[in-house]
Amino acid sequence: MRFNTTLFSAANQANSRRPQKDPVPFQMLLPLELGKTVSGKGDKLKEAVCMQEMAVMFACFKKTEFNQQECLNEVASFQTCFNNYNDKMKLSREQGRKGILVPGEKTLTHRQLNKLLRRFPPKK
Amino acid sequence: MNFNSRFLNKKLCNYHFRNCIRWFVVQNRLYAKATSFPDFFQNPIFRKEDQAKLIENSELAKLAAVPVRPPASYETCSVYHDPLVNKVINHVMEMGKKQLARSLVEKAFENIKRIQIERYHLAQTQEEKNKIELNPKSILYNAVENCKPLLQLSPIKRGGITYQVPGPITEKRSLFLSIKWLLEATNDKERTVHFPEQFAWELLDAANNTGKVVKRKQDLHRQCEANRAYAHYRWQ
Repeated sequence: MRFNTTLFSAANQANSRRPQKDPVPFQMLLPLELGKTVSGKGDKLKEAVCMQEMAVMFACFKKTEFNQQECLNEVASFQTCFNNYNDKMKLSREQGRKGILVPGEKTLTHRQLNKLLRRFPPKK
Repeated sequence: MNFNSRFLNKKLCNYHFRNCIRWFVVQNRLYAKATSFPDFFQNPIFRKEDQAKLIENSELAKLAAVPVRPPASYETCSVYHDPLVNKVINHVMEMGKKQLARSLVEKAFENIKRIQIERYHLAQTQEEKNKIELNPKSILYNAVENCKPLLQLSPIKRGGITYQVPGPITEKRSLFLSIKWLLEATNDKERTVHFPEQFAWELLDAANNTGKVVKRKQDLHRQCEANRAYAHYRWQ
């Protein structure tokens, strides 16, 4: 006779298929303290740049039947906006890569933060 | 270009381990992978205009002590060397047949010159004559400039639906698309029409801000405008 399967596969107190009983006891899997470093996952920028300039350019295009020659100002402002953004990102990426700390900077990259954390480690 | 740039400080120190000098020069690799030269070898600056610019900015001293790759055979300081023409020749080239590609592009230039000179002599007044551009190279420059798209559509998947999201385009990619479209429009021809003939017509049309390729660019802009509601999906 084969009880084993039926006995052990039933949702009893001992196996993990039992329904969860409140309150769930807390298990400390990791030590409850801050880590020494931060990861770089939150560094991705979540914004669409030059939306205003693009909207103005589209409005001009619509007016002039998509003739670029008549919207030179709008096109130039859109392109300078994108170029400025690229330059800014390039500079901040380079500084971030090297971990150069700029005094008074509000938003830090993870490398800059890690540099600071190494210098001033979190107290136990 | 950004992907290829790297800081040289460490590498050069290893290379010249005797006297470790700190250089602050960024390497821009123009080729896909390191060839027989290590990455930190600088690309040669072979055009006199670029050299003059370096002297003006007093950046020549920085480069003086850095190892430099020898220039390729097509990288000359000749007055006939033109970076855009060289780029177009490379786009026309198939299977490494550069001489053929070069002869085709030069033949197209000759055709442009002939067409424009004919127009010049047909023009009645001096005003009309002054308007006609006779230099094929400047026609090529105008044509490529007029065909450059300002925006691009990139597919972004959100909630199981792929949206075509408009966004800004880099200078390099827009140049690539411009040349590619010009060549695609040229190759879309009757078998009896030869490449240089058709290419000359396409370039003249594009330089005049008309024709197939400019229409293709405007169509892309139209599509971007139609999809502008999705523009905020960028970088999310």
